[in-house]
Amino acid sequence: MNSQWLFKRWSRFVTTVFFLSAFTSSVSAWNSKDGTLEVHGFLDSTTHARLDYGISKQRMRGQVEWSKIFKPNGLFSEISMHGTLRATYDGAYDLNDDEFGDSSGSNVFGRSSGLGNLETPWGMSPVSAGNPNLPGGGNFGFNLTTNPDTGLKRVSSELGNSNNNGAFGGGLDFYTPTRPCNVDSRGCLPGYMDATENELRFPEFTDDLGVLREIYIDATMPFDNGDEINFRVGRQQIVWGRTDLFRVLDVVNPNDFSIQNIYEELEDSRVPLGIFSAEYRAGGAGAFDDLNFQLIWNFEKFRPNNLGQGGQPYNILLAGDLFRALGNCWDNGCTVSNFATGLVPGGNLSTDFPAHMIGIRNVNLPKWKADQGGFRIEGVFKSVGFSLNFLSSYSQLPSLRGGIPTTNGFVGTTIPAAGCPVGFPLCPLGFNPFDPTDVPNLERLRGFEPAFDVHFPRVNLIGGSADFYVDPLKSAFRVEVAHTSGEEFADTSQRRLFSESNVLRWVVGWDRQTYIRALNPNRTFLLSAQIFGQHILDHKDITTPFGSQIGFQDHKDNFIGTFLFQGFYMNDRLLPRVITAYDIGAQAGVIAPAIDWLVNDNWRVTFGGNFKFGTGHREADDARTSNSFPPFTAGPACNPAAAGGPTPGCFPGGGEFSSIGIRRGFEPLGRFKSGPIGMAQHEDEIQLLVRYRF
Amino acid sequence: MIKPTFKASIFFWTVIYFSFSATLIQADVIEGAFSADLDEINSISPQPGTIIDQNNVDSFEQLLAPKLGELIKEGFYSIKIGAPISIKPHQAYIDATAEHIGTAKLDDKPGVVLNYTAGRPFPEPPELDDPKAGDKLAWNMRYTYAYDSGEITDFFWQYRDMHKEKIERTLSFYASSLRFMHRHVEQPVPALPRNPSEVYNALYLKVISPPDLRGTQLLIQRMEDDTKQEQAWLYLATHRRVRRLASGQTTDAFLGSDIMIEDFLGYNGRIKDQRWTYKGTQWVLLPYFNHNEMPLVEVNHQQDGYRFVGFTGKADCFPDITWQMRKAYILEAEPYDERHPLSKRLFYVDAQTMQPAFANIYDRSGKLWKVAIAGFSHPDAHHPVNKGSGTPMIDVVSMIDIQAMHCTTLQFKAMVPRKKLKETDFTVQALRAKGR
Repeated sequence: MNSQWLFKRWSRFVTTVFFLSAFTSSVSAWNSKDGTLEVHGFLDSTTHARLDYGISKQRMRGQVEWSKIFKPNGLFSEISMHGTLRATYDGAYDLNDDEFGDSSGSNVFGRSSGLGNLETPWGMSPVSAGNPNLPGGGNFGFNLTTNPDTGLKRVSSELGNSNNNGAFGGGLDFYTPTRPCNVDSRGCLPGYMDATENELRFPEFTDDLGVLREIYIDATMPFDNGDEINFRVGRQQIVWGRTDLFRVLDVVNPNDFSIQNIYEELEDSRVPLGIFSAEYRAGGAGAFDDLNFQLIWNFEKFRPNNLGQGGQPYNILLAGDLFRALGNCWDNGCTVSNFATGLVPGGNLSTDFPAHMIGIRNVNLPKWKADQGGFRIEGVFKSVGFSLNFLSSYSQLPSLRGGIPTTNGFVGTTIPAAGCPVGFPLCPLGFNPFDPTDVPNLERLRGFEPAFDVHFPRVNLIGGSADFYVDPLKSAFRVEVAHTSGEEFADTSQRRLFSESNVLRWVVGWDRQTYIRALNPNRTFLLSAQIFGQHILDHKDITTPFGSQIGFQDHKDNFIGTFLFQGFYMNDRLLPRVITAYDIGAQAGVIAPAIDWLVNDNWRVTFGGNFKFGTGHREADDARTSNSFPPFTAGPACNPAAAGGPTPGCFPGGGEFSSIGIRRGFEPLGRFKSGPIGMAQHEDEIQLLVRYRF
Repeated sequence: MIKPTFKASIFFWTVIYFSFSATLIQADVIEGAFSADLDEINSISPQPGTIIDQNNVDSFEQLLAPKLGELIKEGFYSIKIGAPISIKPHQAYIDATAEHIGTAKLDDKPGVVLNYTAGRPFPEPPELDDPKAGDKLAWNMRYTYAYDSGEITDFFWQYRDMHKEKIERTLSFYASSLRFMHRHVEQPVPALPRNPSEVYNALYLKVISPPDLRGTQLLIQRMEDDTKQEQAWLYLATHRRVRRLASGQTTDAFLGSDIMIEDFLGYNGRIKDQRWTYKGTQWVLLPYFNHNEMPLVEVNHQQDGYRFVGFTGKADCFPDITWQMRKAYILEAEPYDERHPLSKRLFYVDAQTMQPAFANIYDRSGKLWKVAIAGFSHPDAHHPVNKGSGTPMIDVVSMIDIQAMHCTTLQFKAMVPRKKLKETDFTVQALRAKGR
């Protein structure tokens, strides 16, 4: 970044602010004369500058909210209609197009730790068609004309080098196309991660009509005994939780992580859905000070969390990058660093996979069945606020299910110069000795093969929450707990590379207003801490005969702590705050200082930063050593030529077997251990928000 | 020897005499508690229309509450004397006081009043040699007469910098209150039926503007059992979530103003949390007036023609009203909790209405921190819907931070509710329902 660059960006920003102020000076909230119609909203400009990457967000956003109250009608005593329109333009794709826009990405190199970390161009790996040492001769490699070495990025390159210690130390590397899907369609997943440049610039102007953020009708029917039933129908947000940053019960609406990872206010990042909500309000009933029953039914088509797509500045867990890389692998073939192992020379070698051998084939979004819903009992009992919740819905997070038919890149017509692998005297050169019908481009089921369809399994959630005040501690506490069934996790011990598990999540929050008179003699500070726990109840962690671990690649038990420290100065017009979070399993944290300045009743300026610390990248079994293509993929430990001979029981026998866990790396499964904080270590940012509310 | 019939006769007449005397005494107590002798007041009051300003304030010092005279002397404010008025509570409240006089007792445990049913619990004039006189006054304030429910349909707060003499922020609210127990006028009397936790009363506040706070709501439920902590919740529109308030937040600046939640209604905390001391009775100038006779201003044009009391003086921090001579009980409240931001409050409690119309508030170090002025209007000279309610209508408040030279001013359009308020309007769920 040079001063000219900075000046250019800054001058654009100043122009933006000037434009905003000029425009907004004539905008104000509006109320009808009879007071039944109210319109208000905001305009804002948000600039995020990411260290080493430049502008990651230059968002202009306008939002209009309106409410109309109607006269009581028939059985209904209160009838109203509410709506929220939102429009956004994010200039990051134009201002920083060489990082995130249509000029982003570059050529890339596959790496081979078995060759002293030799770097070879995309599509020209040591393991490719024609490699004389490739068992079977093979059909590896892909067409560089349709899948060229441009506009690519190594997945997780932002986090530094992958693990490269020794000949077998190299972790896998995948490469994702980075340009918007209208510019480069490689790896785009239709209906899921396929945004064009305009859809990235203007995220509300999509087929989902995001511009119509909320629109619902509220109607209340009173009963003679004072009870009432309320109906709220339309696109809306249902808020069940009591937490900040992370969600335990607040999961009715999916979340848009592409706005700003986990750091956007949930109010702004929830994706409103078409929901019918009926709420019976019994008020004080029996021993309860307040008792309510809510039934919800989601009648809009399923929408998953928006994780961001490959090349976007915010894609949580860098999952969008990985998914796009895998999508490209399936559609067009791809280079994967350090994949092949056990060939000559010994060590990991970059591999050029042909199409339809590994990757993501399809995204199976649940069809519109309007079969998602739940209910909640909520109230106050002896001064304790409580809720009991049940939700049956499709997972908002994707599950990668293996077990789809794939081609076998090992079979081919080229006879390897080295002949058959040692120990396979019956090997008919160029063909699968166990199955001569396995010919090039034939797709058939193969166990443990990293080729997936994306599914969104049905998940049932049962949970509850409470809040209460403890006077001796002058503190309010919040508690949430949720048990889910049906969630799916990557599992390298399973043929289809996933398993289902019940999960228990909980959070305890603590809020206290505290005087720190040395900092502010007449105003308290808000201290707010939360500790989140996640327990994968059916977690499998299998120790192999080699002492390595296979199975689930997420933490069995993990905890994340958050802490908010906020001060109030100048009659709450100057609000400094620090938010921190630390993921214990990931050994990664974030600190986000910010200062809010309320210039007047309309204008607000927020200046802050978001800085990460800790380890970030975590290693995990990457299933590289699974034997999906016997006898070609036996892995080094099963190689009869290995020192000490083949491991008893490992081979031969011919069949597929799971990873033996002796090759580990950051990609692709380490991200689950790194979590959203660890996987965003590169997202250190300076942030500026200027907002005009009316 | 006196014949038995004669003895019985003496006994009978003795009982009658004492009963009659007690009734007369009780009647005197009730009369003294709720009536104002306007002739007597006129005889000791400066002439209506008199202006007290920095030139003549020394002559009236004995009629001014502490610090008010100093503020006038500094030229921050001048006050105009108004004709005295009497604000007699609703007859139902007076009757209830008479019916239950002498039944309410203070327990030895702080914060516990026994056998209270209705009316003013301790209508007798306080006595300096009564160690519990302060507590009795505090309970009288708690159970003072106000209509059983109330609304402030338009409620404006302004934060003012007294150095720069400019308004920093303007907030507008809707507010309402409901008594769940010890009701006197509105049916059902004496209590609402669905009240399992025995809430005494509830206050509700919703921010209408400015935009950054729009939709913020506050709900406070005060328990009948004063030993129990009040329940307070805040609905944050920006989060669409109800958050339980820690009590620390009730003794903190509310939304950045100079007012704490604990300052609402004069004192909106538990009686047991303060040491209450009666410091004497004084005829003093207090902000009582007839709303319709004040120089009113228009704020957010009201379709019914209602206009608000305005402000004057330094940075417009002081109410533009007339003051009148009132009998006031001086009541000191010292928090037991050493972490409380205040060392004490000194209330001037109007003897007739039991409203703390003036207060000096001291910081933890004992220095005067704030001066609170709460102006009340006669209900019959206020909005037409309030006529006959007997409720002293809170009309204007100034909370002046002497140390920071900053103030928060409040303007009210307080009304007897046009639509009956229900218990379900004061629940946590109601906050969510009224939010988005």
